Amino acid sequence: MKPDPCREWRESLGAYALGQLPADEVPALKAHLEGCPSCRAELDALTSVAGLMARADPDRLGEAPTPPPELGDRVLASISDERASGRRGRRLRLGLALGGVTAAVAAAVLAIFVLPGGSVEPPSRQVSFEALPKRLKVGARLEPRAFGTEIHIYVKGAPSGALCRVFLESRDGARLSAGSFRYRWGEDSYPVLSAALDLSSTRAIGIRVGGRTFLAPVGRS
Amino acid sequence: MASGALTREHDVRAAYAAHAAELYGFAVRSLGDAGLAEEAVQETFLRAWRAGDRFDPQLGSLRTWLFAILRNVVIDLGRARAVRPGVADGGIEPSVEPFDEALLSWQVEEALRRIGDQHRRVLVETYYRGRPYAEIAKELGVPEGTVKSRVYYGLRALRVALEEIGYEA
Repeated sequence: MKPDPCREWRESLGAYALGQLPADEVPALKAHLEGCPSCRAELDALTSVAGLMARADPDRLGEAPTPPPELGDRVLASISDERASGRRGRRLRLGLALGGVTAAVAAAVLAIFVLPGGSVEPPSRQVSFEALPKRLKVGARLEPRAFGTEIHIYVKGAPSGALCRVFLESRDGARLSAGSFRYRWGEDSYPVLSAALDLSSTRAIGIRVGGRTFLAPVGRS
Repeated sequence: MASGALTREHDVRAAYAAHAAELYGFAVRSLGDAGLAEEAVQETFLRAWRAGDRFDPQLGSLRTWLFAILRNVVIDLGRARAVRPGVADGGIEPSVEPFDEALLSWQVEEALRRIGDQHRRVLVETYYRGRPYAEIAKELGVPEGTVKSRVYYGLRALRVALEEIGYEA
């Protein structure tokens, strides 16, 4: 390997690029740079990196957050769900997540989707649960189906492993089970459930979790 | 079908293994909330799979493509949140930095995490904490010239790390 006559100069370039070189060393380095294109090029490269350093927050340099191990399975599950349903309901998951986040704010909201061509899809109902314990969030979207009602439910903040039972309450007070699921992975869960009750006959949706039952009204269309 | 298209479960699995940690790390940085970050990553892979036949590795890396999708997801989430104040969960104030600024900050932080401990330490102490070289040299038990040289090699390593994670000047 060729000896490197610039090595000592170059090792000052980092400090210089960061504005940290002692003032008495600067004139000699500048004189060297005048006559050394390769050190000038090196300084240019270092200066652009040094300029980016102000963008970082030194207090954020600890261990990077890592995704929970179940997230990969959820990604694959959401894709196979969608494949199974023929790529329907494209924006549903994100919509549900946001619905869940806003659960504390909104009451029941009626959502009508106007399709291109002017036809109106049967209205789905976005339902929010209020008066929940701190940290627990539940939201649901109900879709009218030929078989009854499809329930997209969103839960956040229950103890991991908690059993959640979901039911619909008809206008005459009967309760029909929509099935159960376990809240997992400590963050968000949004299973798709169904019950053999028409959405138009549904008065409320309920969820039983942690020994308590929460009800949310379902408005008439 | 273009080779490299993200259309099979196998492709998604491989893409997830290679890029999910970075996407998630950035989503947490940008959204300030672990739960929302998970949503964002899941939505990103779902959208990537839907548009998988449009991914062309000749035009750019999978990583860049996924970050572009995440960008849209984060913007959608931010927009939805902006019109509904007071929904930040767990007391963490969500970041309001525009996406590209946040991405740049995250890239520099990620690059700093990737370089060696010795290099990161001198850059943090001299640049961010503004401490004199002599003081750091004494603390580390090395000559002052060594601190200076580590600053130089640290900056070089930072540059390489930035290129590795896709920073484009």
